[in-house]
Amino acid sequence: MTAAIEVNSLTRRFGALRAVDDISFTIDEGTICGLLGRNGAGKTTLMQLLTGQDFASAGTIRVFGHSPVENARVLQNVCFIKESQKYPEDFRVKHVMTSAPWFFSNWDAEFAEQLTEEFRLPLGRKIKKLSRGQLSSVGVIIGLASRAPLTFFDEPYLGLDALARQLFYDRLLEDYAKHPRTVVLSTHLIDEVSNLLEHVLVIDDGRIIIDDSADNLRGSATTVVGTSEAVERFAQSRNVLHLDRIGGICSATLDALSPDDKHAAVAAGLELSSVSLQQLIIHKTSSLTSETELSA
Amino acid sequence: MTSTTLSPVTLHSPNAARRVLNVARLHLVNRVQIIVQPWLIMSFIFAISLLIGWIVRVSLSPADFAEANLQFGGAFGFFLIYMLVLAVMAINQTFPFAQSYSVTRRDFYVGTVLTFLGLSVAYSILITFLGWIEDLTNGWGARVALFSPDYFSSNLAERLFVTVVLFVFFLMTGMAIASVYMRWRVNGMLIFFGVLTLILVGLAALATFTEQWPTVGTWFAAMGLTGVVAWTLVPSALCTVAGYLLLRKATPRN
Repeated sequence: MTAAIEVNSLTRRFGALRAVDDISFTIDEGTICGLLGRNGAGKTTLMQLLTGQDFASAGTIRVFGHSPVENARVLQNVCFIKESQKYPEDFRVKHVMTSAPWFFSNWDAEFAEQLTEEFRLPLGRKIKKLSRGQLSSVGVIIGLASRAPLTFFDEPYLGLDALARQLFYDRLLEDYAKHPRTVVLSTHLIDEVSNLLEHVLVIDDGRIIIDDSADNLRGSATTVVGTSEAVERFAQSRNVLHLDRIGGICSATLDALSPDDKHAAVAAGLELSSVSLQQLIIHKTSSLTSETELSA
Repeated sequence: MTSTTLSPVTLHSPNAARRVLNVARLHLVNRVQIIVQPWLIMSFIFAISLLIGWIVRVSLSPADFAEANLQFGGAFGFFLIYMLVLAVMAINQTFPFAQSYSVTRRDFYVGTVLTFLGLSVAYSILITFLGWIEDLTNGWGARVALFSPDYFSSNLAERLFVTVVLFVFFLMTGMAIASVYMRWRVNGMLIFFGVLTLILVGLAALATFTEQWPTVGTWFAAMGLTGVVAWTLVPSALCTVAGYLLLRKATPRN
């Protein structure tokens, strides 16, 4: 499989702040990759670097094998509508829908029209008068209808109601199946997108802390619940990501349980449940933070 | 999931002229701001000028009215300030937007400069044409000078030249100043205007201490309007180049 994005020792400094701090990763062509992380973790800076909007302080970026900076050959295959995208003064939705096809050669006008209707986006309304959800759907529609070989969705769920969120989910999967391409979904609302993702990148404080396939991650942690005594005995020799105690009951999130481990847990009278991607990332991020705090 | 397979992404060299042309189309997609609004304001100024001309005509004796000359040359100045604002917004708003359409800075800049040159020529032709009619109709029959103020040459070609060059000056200056902001934000603005003020005060001081003000005055008088305006081509060209060099390393941020 070829890589759509290859990043090597990438750093972006703003004065003393390292918004992106010496990271390396690859994203394969034809996958849906989640770029997850907290607010201010460096997601937007990273995407601006990947799309040639910002300049690296150090390291290299290859998009379809070439640097994206001022490179029209690469950039014409890329679509990135920022969550906080600025639009020209007094632009209306229809101006966006008219101009987008000039810049994206795979643009599907019929699909765009259908989406505009489904998201109930008023074509004649000024962009600055749109609600937060409507603004998000402008970005979603451009991202979907442009069919760019590399499409970024930046916080696509921001302000969208439940119906619109489901609609985005359905249309993305449908269209991705018909027209495979590389999709990067950036969000801090992890549970909303977790079922879409094939690969997960978690960025925290400018560094990549998780870079794994979604399947691996889903199977990687298990929560065991039982009496404190039983849980503690079982967890003793294992890697504990998180521990909760309520009265005499204890719940522990454990890393990487083998089938044998699971049998042992059931035999010890413990209840097993899977851990959602969101929970896993929260546990991993917070355990990492406490480790850093300890070492500091 | 599906039988459709991923077609490998092949990078083909895009058509440079097409890309630049698309940037020009992007500037013109919302015609309200770039065309409708300035001419609507101009129409209003025109109507008010005619009204004042009519009031003067009614209140004066025919002999006195024949001597009257209502100068509204300032109406033309409004267009120039409007162009400055237009250029600032092109960099400040359309540039970040074009980046989301994956337009390179180079294509954006070339497309924008060409759009503005085209706009300058088109508007100047229209203004010169209106000035010509104004001359023929004795100021729209009301002795009103709006498009053909007294200080303009009677030579239409020279008038067209002066108008185009003034338009270009205000547009390119606006682009360069906005590019300073896009590159270095508020700090850039403060330093830029600080340095500009120092240079202007320094030049004034130089002229004062060397007692060269009369020479400066003579130079402007000798150059005439057309000559002085022609000289603005130098700062216009510098601004055009500087704007590109600044924008080439600028990052759109919110």
